[in-house]
Amino acid sequence: MTQTDSSFIEVEKLHKKFGDLHVLKSIDLSVMKGETVCLIGSSGSGKSTLLRCLNFMEYPTAGRISIKGSAVGKEVGTLFDAPTFRYDEKALSVHRQHIGMVFQQFNLFPHMSVLENVMEGPLTVLGKSSGEAEVEARKQLDRVGLSEKAAQYPSRLSGGQQQRVAIARALAMQPDVMLFDEVTSSLDPELVGEVLSVMKDLSAEGMTMIVVTHELGFAYHVADRILFLHDGQILEQGVPEQILRNPTEPRIQQFLSGFSSFNF
Amino acid sequence: MEYQWQFGEVLVYWPHFLRGILVTLELAACLLSMAIVGGVIVGSARHSRKRIYNWPASAFIEMFRNTPVLVQIIWFYYAFPVLIDVQMPGFVAAALGIGLNSVAYSAEIFRAGIQSIELGQWEAARAIGMQYMAIMRRIILPQAIKRMIPAFANRMIEIFKATSLASAIAVGELLFRGEELANTIYRPMEVYTIVAIVFFVLIYPLALLSYWLEWKLNSNNGRPA
Repeated sequence: MTQTDSSFIEVEKLHKKFGDLHVLKSIDLSVMKGETVCLIGSSGSGKSTLLRCLNFMEYPTAGRISIKGSAVGKEVGTLFDAPTFRYDEKALSVHRQHIGMVFQQFNLFPHMSVLENVMEGPLTVLGKSSGEAEVEARKQLDRVGLSEKAAQYPSRLSGGQQQRVAIARALAMQPDVMLFDEVTSSLDPELVGEVLSVMKDLSAEGMTMIVVTHELGFAYHVADRILFLHDGQILEQGVPEQILRNPTEPRIQQFLSGFSSFNF
Repeated sequence: MEYQWQFGEVLVYWPHFLRGILVTLELAACLLSMAIVGGVIVGSARHSRKRIYNWPASAFIEMFRNTPVLVQIIWFYYAFPVLIDVQMPGFVAAALGIGLNSVAYSAEIFRAGIQSIELGQWEAARAIGMQYMAIMRRIILPQAIKRMIPAFANRMIEIFKATSLASAIAVGELLFRGEELANTIYRPMEVYTIVAIVFFVLIYPLALLSYWLEWKLNSNNGRPA
């Protein structure tokens, strides 16, 4: 096992099956502190499933996921030559507190104001007082440029604003890592930019980020490393210049040729 | 032929009606509490992925939803006491028969309400580290309860009307008191008309309450319904 001091998330021999469908086939991945990694690939390649396994929105069928050197769950057996684990709710809750996630569909809590949405984690999970939680929430709303929307309800906000609130909600937990699951895919084109710009700032501030995206321009300019997934495996990985400009794999060339308007 | 209504003759027996009304209200109060408390418990069990909770809850619901409520009342009155070797007053048998039937229905309302909330709400709450009970209490139920209200208000009205079935086993509720009186003073037209009107007066406020709740929950600071 290749555990380095600055490796934040370590994935070893990760397998995921949905029934008979083998979606992830022995994925190895190690993400360093402060690194921004983009996962690209065609739909069905397994990139979203990989991301969702990292904070156990999906339970891995086999394989080890470690954060800051310690594996999540209790090892109980072996499958596909990889260890299998059993997970309990409490341990997963602790794990997830270190990992922020932003979804394609925003998933804001519609019965709470913007401020209450962002306060919810600090308040109920970290056990902060409502005063402390509010200070934290206002700080994060300021960070995504939505201080003046604090009292609004999510349904009054544009898609781009809702997604920025979702980012603030995740950041309020002071996560070590942020996961982004196609966060601009359900936005109108003119709203994509404001969300990507918040993500770009985060990356520049040194946040560790794993981003599933179809925004190749963003990946090219922001990612430290790009992983190309195909059929549940990492086909090729490297710096953006290499993957997007000089891919060796014909499948990547084919994938890139589908992006006619792709301009760096 | 013109029927000569004689309400005055019947209304002098108002204490007789009043006794019936009180028993009807008592029975309704018991049934509504059973439906709410039992519905939440059985509905949660039915919603659980664990078979140890899910299967008994499903069996309970199917059994009580798919037999007539009048049969249940009569079974609890005549058969159940023999099985457990305990005498059972009609009121208790009626409460059990109608009550367990109502629990089955409100459990389904509760489960459907919870399941109507998008999975993304669960995921977003889990992603910030929230655990099952907290997610239920703070994220799912506040949204789901709004959606349950119309169906549950309907159920409350059904339950209230079902109290009259207890007359079949001689529980002294409003309809039974009416029958007694009708058989005594031979004025069934007036007696049953009064019984019907009293039921309407008791039940209509529940319908109004449900309209009001729906309206109130839907016009709330621009929050979606």
